[in-house]
Amino acid sequence: MRSNRKEGLFKRELVADAIKQSFVKLNPRYQFRSPVMFTVEIGTMVMMFVCAWILAGEKSQGSFTYNFIIFLILLLTLLFANFAEALAEARGKAQAASLRKTREDTPAKKVEILGNMYVNEINIVSSSQLVKGDVFICEAGDIIPTDGEIIEGIATVDESAITGESAPVVRESGGDKSSVTGGTKVLSDKIKVQVTTSPGESFLDKMIALVEGASRQKTPNEIALTILLSGFTLVFIIVCVTLQPFASYAKTPIPISAYISLFVCLIPTTIGGLLSAIGISGMDRALRANVIAKSGKAVETAGDLDVLLLDKTGTITIGNRKATNFYAAKGVDKDHLIKCAVMSSMADETPEGKSIIELGGINPQSLQVENPTFIKFTAETRSSGIDFGNTQIRKGAYDAMKNKVEKAGNVFPTGTIEDVKKISSNGGTPLVVLENNVVLGVIELQDIIKTGIFERFERLRKMGVKTVMVTGDNPLTAKYIAEKAGVDD
Amino acid sequence: MNPQILGVVVMFVATLLLAVPLGRYIAKVYGGQRVWTDVFFNPIERLFFKASRIDPGIEMGWKQSMIALLTINLIWFLWVLFCLLNQSWLPMNPDHNPNMTPDLAVNTAISFLVNCNLQQYSGETGVSYFSQVYGLMFLQFVSAGTGMAAAAIVFNALKDRTTDKLGNFYNYFLRSCTRILLPICILVAAIHLFEGTPMTFKGIDTMTSVQGDTMHVSRGPVAAFVAIKHVGTNGGGFFGANSAHPLENPSYLSNIVQMVAQILIPFAMVFAFGFYCNKKRLAWVFWGVMTTGFLILVVPTIIAEVHGNPYIAQMGISQPGGNMEGKEVRFGATASAFWSIATTVISTGSVNGMHDSFMPVSGMNMMLGMMINSFYGGVGVGFLNFFIYVILAVFIGGLMVGRTPEFGGKKVEAREMKIAMIIALFHPFLILSFTALASYFAAHDTNMGWWFADAAGKHNAGGWLNNPSHHGFSEMLYQYTSSSANNGSGFEGLADNNPFWNISTGIVLLFSRFLPIIGPVAIAGLMANKKFIPASGGTLKTDTGTFGMLVFAVKVIIAALAFFPALALGPIAEWMKMH
Repeated sequence: MRSNRKEGLFKRELVADAIKQSFVKLNPRYQFRSPVMFTVEIGTMVMMFVCAWILAGEKSQGSFTYNFIIFLILLLTLLFANFAEALAEARGKAQAASLRKTREDTPAKKVEILGNMYVNEINIVSSSQLVKGDVFICEAGDIIPTDGEIIEGIATVDESAITGESAPVVRESGGDKSSVTGGTKVLSDKIKVQVTTSPGESFLDKMIALVEGASRQKTPNEIALTILLSGFTLVFIIVCVTLQPFASYAKTPIPISAYISLFVCLIPTTIGGLLSAIGISGMDRALRANVIAKSGKAVETAGDLDVLLLDKTGTITIGNRKATNFYAAKGVDKDHLIKCAVMSSMADETPEGKSIIELGGINPQSLQVENPTFIKFTAETRSSGIDFGNTQIRKGAYDAMKNKVEKAGNVFPTGTIEDVKKISSNGGTPLVVLENNVVLGVIELQDIIKTGIFERFERLRKMGVKTVMVTGDNPLTAKYIAEKAGVDD
Repeated sequence: MNPQILGVVVMFVATLLLAVPLGRYIAKVYGGQRVWTDVFFNPIERLFFKASRIDPGIEMGWKQSMIALLTINLIWFLWVLFCLLNQSWLPMNPDHNPNMTPDLAVNTAISFLVNCNLQQYSGETGVSYFSQVYGLMFLQFVSAGTGMAAAAIVFNALKDRTTDKLGNFYNYFLRSCTRILLPICILVAAIHLFEGTPMTFKGIDTMTSVQGDTMHVSRGPVAAFVAIKHVGTNGGGFFGANSAHPLENPSYLSNIVQMVAQILIPFAMVFAFGFYCNKKRLAWVFWGVMTTGFLILVVPTIIAEVHGNPYIAQMGISQPGGNMEGKEVRFGATASAFWSIATTVISTGSVNGMHDSFMPVSGMNMMLGMMINSFYGGVGVGFLNFFIYVILAVFIGGLMVGRTPEFGGKKVEAREMKIAMIIALFHPFLILSFTALASYFAAHDTNMGWWFADAAGKHNAGGWLNNPSHHGFSEMLYQYTSSSANNGSGFEGLADNNPFWNISTGIVLLFSRFLPIIGPVAIAGLMANKKFIPASGGTLKTDTGTFGMLVFAVKVIIAALAFFPALALGPIAEWMKMH
């Protein structure tokens, strides 16, 4: 951790830059923005003149060394405050620079259009040369150069750089999962993407602008705090100024250096000096946790959070339902059910299908299946399966299967109906398996709750944040998940 | 237990026992609920409102209320100025007291208008009965009513809702006078009559003493005056010696009654806030903070006074009664010490001993009480001052827990902070800058011309100090502190009836009265207008001891840091010289 921080915070270039900046920031016009440090700077200047005055022969102000030390201490205070701010800023800048590098240096495999046909003429250009409407190709391992929409293909994309979601997501053409973001990495397959944003407007650009703090505004609380600090500073200006006549009444002359030292000690120098650094580092920390704070105000608002509304699928749960159990119908061998379930899922590429095979523990290749015909899932039949020989295996939603069974004149066993109900009430999804229109049993699919989510909610609750789950699931499922995850409402 | 200490404890406990039910009663009065005094006062109030053509049902915003407050105060000021400047020919002047000089009249009128009662005249020779009753006593009632009405507006604004209608100022004001101040005053005055306080419109009495000398004894409608002087935390005495005068405070019992009367409403206002806004726990926290501060000031003072003066001890004289210089034998050192702190933390400023002769520690504690000015504080305004510190504490506390600061479900933002900061700044600014001015003149012994002439007719500024060195500085600091806190007690020993002191304290008085009323009311009014956010688990809890400590710390930091350098050159330096 330590070495890591050293690399991050105290990189040589960063420090060098910050030191340079801390002198540049001595400019009074810059200091004026922070009233506390501005007064300290004035104090420093006064001390400088006092030192010069003593050198010119003034006797009443004490020794030169003493005054010069005070001057040095004040100067160091100023420089340190500037240094802290510059360092925080430099970190943000370094981050922005690396982002900008992504934007500019990512090679894009641009597709040149000849007539109305796409030919395989691919030129490698810099991502910054892509304009809206251009088309480029990304293959496994490529970084997507800019924001766009997939017009052809499907790919898994690692979006962790932007969203923080560690699991890769699937992006494919058509539908609502077709957009890709610059800076993310394609992990598999090949996609053809059309650029949707003009240069300078992409997501990355916006992020760079945020990180750089170009649009950094003072937050409401920061403004109020500045008022408080300025108020204190004013009080102590009054205190120090009025001390002069008091002292002259008491016939105890006080040298200028003592007034200034007293003043700097009294005013809230530390908070005043580090205030802007605190603001920047707050945003920086959020960024490191893969949270993009659009402004300091957003960070502040996050602190005022009382209720957190959460989507169920993908947030509280992994999102992919997994098979967790097999329930055989009465009079059916469980192994037979498992075998049939595995067979029906042989060609099923969905996570559910894969998980059934996984749970079944049978290698589909080992099963004797001749001339299989795979039936794909459709929204109409709400089932999928496999046909081979004169065996017909289907798995699908309860009501669709029930219809099918009853149409064929068979009876849906009551034991299985109970299993189905039980699974539903436990928050799972039942998949009924049929062999030649006879019910074999039910597969239980469970939406898996992400590990550690319970503890996270517990922590949120301690912070006084109430969690509320919003979902389109049936109330029973929702209730079950909510209880499991520890959601408040 | 030492009977003197017991007497002090009795005073305090009696006040607390009376204050809780009174707080509930006050909350009902402001809430417009039925109270037992309705029978007497409903017809009277209706008559007032009919005559003045005010509809008490019309609700006002905070700005309207403040405009009403300022106009009505201006009219009172002009009326009393007229009384004081023309009292020689106005009726009820059996002792033929002369008109006041213009600068003294302005100072007196302002000082009574702002509930301060800094008196740079002596009641026996300075004012007629007409001015006492229709000018000064009138102002003692209405200034107290004004402060309470302002507090009532703040109470109303702090309720859990969003509104810009904060009730009718005139209604609050009149009800404060008739239903709260008047009944208590009648009771207190009656007790004083039995204890021997005069209540007459006859002039100076002449009597022959045992030794055969002829004595002139001033008298007048004292009992009525003393009652409102304490109940309204005004503090302006009928006689120059204030409550040290045997006719104004004749016995130990009357001393207890006056003590209870002056702390009663400041206590009760805190509880009234709890009952009115249904925040009883918060009210107890506030009261706890105030009491902690009060005890921290009062205990060392009592100890210092009981131990007596080390200089006298060095001379080999034993002081069994403690430091009795400037104190009344019938009260003793303990009760006087308790009084001196009570009268300064609340803004009464009446005295039953001469503060100038107290020990330096006591003098410092008295000044600290006025510098903080909200350990109880004056009727109504004490709560308002306290409210400012609460806002500051809420803000600092809110930032500490990382949330936008809120109080009572309302966000505290930059605008409120600006106002709170100005108000908190103003008090030290007025005290320090004017003391600096005075000590500059004194240090340079400036020729003040018309502004100042001492008894010998010399115009040099050094002449206004009867005591040199640190004690003289304390006198000047005390005078402005007392003015800025609207307290009105004096360290005395200062030649203060002259244009310089009359006018400069007059300016301080005016600013330090009306800004600290307008500020909190404005903050409360702005907050009332905001969206109400119900408290959640993450909200900074204000009704806890921790928050109480935070408020206390904020007060101490502001007061200690701002005033410490000044105090160091006054009472602290004096104490170091003594030991």
